[in-house]
Amino acid sequence: MSSEALADIKIQVEAPEYDSGNLHSILSEIKFALEQLLEQKKTHSIDLRAMPWSPGEEDKLEQYLGRGEISVELNALGKSTFYESRFSGIWIVTHYNQEDEIIGKLIEITTMPEMIFSQYEDIKESLENIQIQP
Amino acid sequence: MNKQTLFELLQQQGITRRGFMKYCTALTSLMALPPSMIPIVANALESARRPSVIWLSFQECTGCTESLTRSHSPTVEGLIFDHISLDYHHTLQAASGDAAEHAREQAMKDNYGKYLVVVDGSIPLGDPGYSTIAGISNLDMLNETVAGAAAVIAVGTCSAYGGLPMADPNPTGAVSVTSLIKDKPVINVPGCPPIPTVITGVLAHYLTFGSIPELDELGRPKVFYGQSIHDRCYRRPFYDKGLFAETFDDEGAKKGWCLYRLGCKGPMTYNACATLKWNQQTSWPVESGHGCLGCSEPNFWDAGSFYKALSIPDGDYAKAAGYAVATGVAVGAAAGFVNRKTKSTAVSQHTKVTVDDFELNKDKK
Repeated sequence: MSSEALADIKIQVEAPEYDSGNLHSILSEIKFALEQLLEQKKTHSIDLRAMPWSPGEEDKLEQYLGRGEISVELNALGKSTFYESRFSGIWIVTHYNQEDEIIGKLIEITTMPEMIFSQYEDIKESLENIQIQP
Repeated sequence: MNKQTLFELLQQQGITRRGFMKYCTALTSLMALPPSMIPIVANALESARRPSVIWLSFQECTGCTESLTRSHSPTVEGLIFDHISLDYHHTLQAASGDAAEHAREQAMKDNYGKYLVVVDGSIPLGDPGYSTIAGISNLDMLNETVAGAAAVIAVGTCSAYGGLPMADPNPTGAVSVTSLIKDKPVINVPGCPPIPTVITGVLAHYLTFGSIPELDELGRPKVFYGQSIHDRCYRRPFYDKGLFAETFDDEGAKKGWCLYRLGCKGPMTYNACATLKWNQQTSWPVESGHGCLGCSEPNFWDAGSFYKALSIPDGDYAKAAGYAVATGVAVGAAAGFVNRKTKSTAVSQHTKVTVDDFELNKDKK
């Protein structure tokens, strides 16, 4: 029995050269949200899993947005990754479950995704648990 | 058994607020709600109690359960232990025989008026002997179990519309759940099978909001079945430009053009495949190069060949496509209307699929 993982199988996917229009509309939405963030401090999120992507299109968007200066990893009910794109204020957030499968993927237009902050509910619990003499 | 709220249950497992918010984010996405709803979902989940669920399997192939067990967000374990209290499902439960039936009766007694009944499979009315469980006919078990239910979820095309068992000549006299249950809300979640995350999404909606989602005229949740495959298809721009694959291996097929002429039923099929996709969002039929079969629509088994193109007025694709550019969705809708009529004719005449249907060039002059 071969124990080859799916990723090891050499297959080449050629994404056909055409434009479904998805990238244009999502980038317009991101740009508008960025304006709103700057002018009104209003945050915005886009659920990438609700988009009717054509093959390779989502990768193209991620490649265009690129990676910026900061990335954060969270471990709660599986891993989550947060990183700012090369455009300040645009974050890419990916949530995984305990089996490392993606369960949520969003673009957040914000100064920092809410989930990165320490949460007051957890701080309260810390206060109850912390011991002066460990 | 169901006294705890989901939030309390997660807290007991040592899950932090961040973990809970992550959970809410995934659940909001699962229910196809916009991310702006996350705080509302979180708020609702803090006091949500897990509903008791009784799952009845009648004339079915277990494909719907197979689909459910491939749900990864949440996983089936997460679903069973966290979202709902799955008190009876004869394929998944450990108990068998009398103990299994006792579990169903106990769940009904404990949660009378509040539990959910999920049904997959159709019900044989012609000869009840075709499908019985513990010596009880499907019809009797359905009536008995639904009597104390808050709502019924018909999972899969068989349960929602009759499906394959009801296809001509319908030897068992199969009927759908909807045609039998008139005094309780019935949510239809069709598909052969339905997308796993759509099944769990509907259950999650009930868990979160304690109500049933908004339904269309066929009893399907609008949030998943509100748009046609065609309207959400990434190949739609080719349809609008009049660029169609003519065979499965021609230049158009290789370039990913529209599969309309190869029999794609996307324009008349309402489902979420184009966005939610299958196998953990890997792909879906059209992305794999095959047209939509229309499996979430009533009578799709009797609607003629999977490979015969739906008709658009007079078959002049170039003209129709030009028209489509100008009017967009309207043509898709008109084609949908024309083809619903064609389909009903096909159903009444019970058009059989023959080998000629596979010779795709035959129809084209």
